[in-house]
Amino acid sequence: MIMRPGQQLLLPANPFFIWGSLLLALVVNLLPLGRVPWMPDVMALVLVFWSVHQPLRVGIGAAFVFGLAMDVHQTALLGQHALAYTALSFFAITIHRRLLWFSVPSQAVQVLPLFVAAHAIELAVRMLAGGIFPGFSALLAPLIEALLWPVVSVALLAPQRRAPDPDANRPL
Amino acid sequence: MPLGTLDRNPPPFFKQGPSSLSKLMVFSALAVFLMVADTRFRVGQPVRAVVATVLYPVQWLAMRPVFLFRYGGQYFESLASAQSSEAAARAKLALQSQRANQVEQLALENERLRKLLALRERVTVPGDAAEVLYDAADPYTRKVIIDKGLAQGIEPGSPVIDESGVLGQVTRVHPLISEVTLVTDREHAIPVLNVRTGARSVAYGDPAATGFLELRFMAANADVQPGDLLTTSGVDGVYPPGLPVARVNKVERRADAGFARITCSPQALVDGARHVMVLKAGAANLPPRATAEDAAPLKKGARPLR
Repeated sequence: MIMRPGQQLLLPANPFFIWGSLLLALVVNLLPLGRVPWMPDVMALVLVFWSVHQPLRVGIGAAFVFGLAMDVHQTALLGQHALAYTALSFFAITIHRRLLWFSVPSQAVQVLPLFVAAHAIELAVRMLAGGIFPGFSALLAPLIEALLWPVVSVALLAPQRRAPDPDANRPL
Repeated sequence: MPLGTLDRNPPPFFKQGPSSLSKLMVFSALAVFLMVADTRFRVGQPVRAVVATVLYPVQWLAMRPVFLFRYGGQYFESLASAQSSEAAARAKLALQSQRANQVEQLALENERLRKLLALRERVTVPGDAAEVLYDAADPYTRKVIIDKGLAQGIEPGSPVIDESGVLGQVTRVHPLISEVTLVTDREHAIPVLNVRTGARSVAYGDPAATGFLELRFMAANADVQPGDLLTTSGVDGVYPPGLPVARVNKVERRADAGFARITCSPQALVDGARHVMVLKAGAANLPPRATAEDAAPLKKGARPLR
């Protein structure tokens, strides 16, 4: 087994936790907070995270289905988020072997182009379909998503970092 | 350490499934097909209805914390403020009751006069009260979601008004919720009548997303002044006539263009409406429109419209 030096051995990921976190991200995205162009897409973030860490469990098909749900919720063009999430998941799976060799902050720098690409796909599709330009504050969304990458990394890997044999000193 | 506690399983050699590139091809082709189907052929509606129905419990769940935060403060208002607002409402009611009593009489009188003049009686349009759930998060359009749908008999195309004017039009109906396109949306157009001059025109949503409407194709010397009220003209057969739509904000007459640039601010609360009324579509009872076949004989090989 080849690993980055100093990397912690992880417990197996619980499938219920994976799908639960994806559903939670969907709920966060469905919060009716109004029309905010710079709102970070938490669903995309969690999808990229699991595509990188568990590419055999969460892949392009799941990304497509969640994208369709986002389209219907946002009353967007049907297939707009589905296309963006599909591309996002594909790129995440493409870079997943390389990405885990880096520390978490440099991972955030490397996933930034992915989020930029996903938002660019959505913008291009909607401009072609004749939508209103959302304004330049929409450029902040991929940046915020990349900044949230370390937070998500800590939060979603926490269950796998528990002790394999809990005792009185390490109850979790 | 017991075996099986490590996550680093070697990847399966043979059971790999289709490659991610082929999956990307299939799913992006599907997404592009859905987009084309949605915009060109209007067949995306069944897919939308199914997904919307499956998604509704999740949406309902997501709405709870936001509504609790937004409207929860009302439960903790003091008794004094509630009493003062009730007193103010009573005073207003007393003022209005006199006018309301007169209205009955005026309506009767109006009806008789209209019969005398052999005019068609103005139709009273039936409507459904609905509540705005949230603004659609899509930043490329201007839409809101209301809490009535197919189950409550909402029809696509119905005009939606709030207490101060026309808010928009129902564009998609799901089983339990509906989407309302606001008058400020880029793709929304509404025939209006200038109350002061009686001139008819069409107000479009503003493509620059400034929250205004635009009166297009008005001649540079047209009689439009800031402050003019625009109401629905009723010539479209969708909106009942006489509902306030917008007030003219600014008139720019440019020497180099044949048309004036007229911006109007919507009368309805497009950003903050909570209670709205969904009117019955096409209740204005216009005579049936001439079909395309009547207007122009079909050429050989040309497809009939619809």
